[in-house]
Amino acid sequence: MIGLEHYLVLTGILFSIGIVGVIRRTNLLMLFFSTEILLNAVNIGFAAVSKYYGDLNGQIFSFFIIAIAASEVAVGLGLLVLWYKKEGTIDLTSLQMMKG
Amino acid sequence: MGDISYLLPLLFVGVGAVVLMLLSYTKSLSISSIAKIALGFLVLAFISNVYYFGELHKVYPYENVFFGMIVSDTYSVYFNSILLVGAIATILIGWDYFRPDRRFTGEFFSLLLFSTFGMMLLVQSAELLSAFIALEIASLSLYVMIGFQTDNIRRVEASYRYLVLGSLSGVLFLFGTALIYASTKTTFLGNIGVELLPQTGKDISLAIGGATLILITFLFKISAFPFQNWTIDVYDGSPLPVSAYMASTFKVAVFAFMLRFVAMDLGYIKDYWDGLLMGVIILTLAYGTFLALAQNNLKRMLASSSIVHTGYLLIAFVSIDIIGESASSSIIYYLIAYFLSAMGAFGLISYISSSDKLRLTYEDFKGFSHVRPYMSAMLSIFMLSLAGLPGTIGFIGKFYIFSGAIEAGYTVLATSAILATFISIYYYFKLIALMYFYPSPILSNVPPLKGLPPIFIGFIAIAVLWGGIGNTFIAFFPSIDFLIDVAKLSHRSLFLQ
Repeated sequence: MIGLEHYLVLTGILFSIGIVGVIRRTNLLMLFFSTEILLNAVNIGFAAVSKYYGDLNGQIFSFFIIAIAASEVAVGLGLLVLWYKKEGTIDLTSLQMMKG
Repeated sequence: MGDISYLLPLLFVGVGAVVLMLLSYTKSLSISSIAKIALGFLVLAFISNVYYFGELHKVYPYENVFFGMIVSDTYSVYFNSILLVGAIATILIGWDYFRPDRRFTGEFFSLLLFSTFGMMLLVQSAELLSAFIALEIASLSLYVMIGFQTDNIRRVEASYRYLVLGSLSGVLFLFGTALIYASTKTTFLGNIGVELLPQTGKDISLAIGGATLILITFLFKISAFPFQNWTIDVYDGSPLPVSAYMASTFKVAVFAFMLRFVAMDLGYIKDYWDGLLMGVIILTLAYGTFLALAQNNLKRMLASSSIVHTGYLLIAFVSIDIIGESASSSIIYYLIAYFLSAMGAFGLISYISSSDKLRLTYEDFKGFSHVRPYMSAMLSIFMLSLAGLPGTIGFIGKFYIFSGAIEAGYTVLATSAILATFISIYYYFKLIALMYFYPSPILSNVPPLKGLPPIFIGFIAIAVLWGGIGNTFIAFFPSIDFLIDVAKLSHRSLFLQ
């Protein structure tokens, strides 16, 4: 029987994958994918808790989180395009000019 | 008046943001007239907000629509006033800075209003998810505001850094909310605290984990020790008025929410954090001081010293469960003191540098007092206030925080904060010394004091002095004690039913 703990563990695993992705990836597009994984991990958690308690609020939260994730990506991709036009690359290592 | 009167400030700012976005599509309006319209909306919101200033109340407006997710109390009115003044100040000090030839357009002001709207909503939210949405409204608009000058690659890079790190910290907040929801079945402030009481006999380890994740987001947003690295680069890469806006208002809004959350719900969990927070504070003070000493660029110095000020604020935050009312009122007061001094310093520097594109270093200010005596005087006042010399508002703020820390028994923290203050005198006074003790000026093409921004900055300078000495010298004038009393009242309004 799959219970709440399993879902929360899945959330934790996905969350860890996302965190590792944000830390390790140098491609900016991949970095955004990792952020999306993080947000969707939380979505699973909310939906599972909501089902467990029979309380609809958690599922509504997921909808809001999806909307926020979309708007975050909209801003991020806009910046990405701008960055690519200027630098010709979307690699994080090109983002070092502000040192010092 | 009905419930609507409690929501008017939010409505004015929100509607203003949408109206400005529509107006900026028509190219016939000049940027200064759009700035005037934005100013008008903000002033309207401020007036409707001040109406309830200092009145003890707690109302959940339109409870059948918002289900108590939005609250209006003395506390939120107090913070909304600070935020609105911050937004108005940003427009005023940037009056000459936001020009079309710098690629600023009308949309910028719409974003500024959206971001203010988000911060006000954050202060007024009484529920974790609505707080997250408010936080994201504020941050997303800020990301765009930082990167608005698309021709400058430094702006784009600063914006990018803030976006990636900011969204990561936002996700930690969400995960924390999910864990608290799993543990307590509610996300409403006030109800969470009831569920977490030890009498219920529940296992609250999930909630402790969740609250700690939210604490991490909070530490990130106010740039405390392990999460401070973004601050200097982002502040340095942003346009100066936007740095001023970030440094003063965003921190206020985040502190306001966290203070509400901790005071209402996490009194019990906070015991687990004490050791952790003490370490964070000492390291924040030490590292911020070290960074500030190492900077030669003035903007970067102000950014690093804002990390030190975060450390001072966190000291009062730790002692909140022992001396609740005076700790939270000293936080609120210090936020005002820092807000005024930082806004003035950033504003004046942005005015000085708005004539040309130079990045101001310490050396540029050698002999500055011989060219612009009034500007040097104002800059000295702000530096004195940031360092916390008696006679300025910064001193009173520090006095309340340090004496509160000693009263609550955190003498180690108070001692290290006083040490940090001693050292901070070096990097603040260096500027004053350079301005006054060198014969020949280096900066010569500084614009004279003309127009709106210098008048406004002058007002801020007077307010800084008035906050320090006003209550002893000027009789029959609303003194600074009034602000402290209202701060105590706002703390009390958190616990009204």
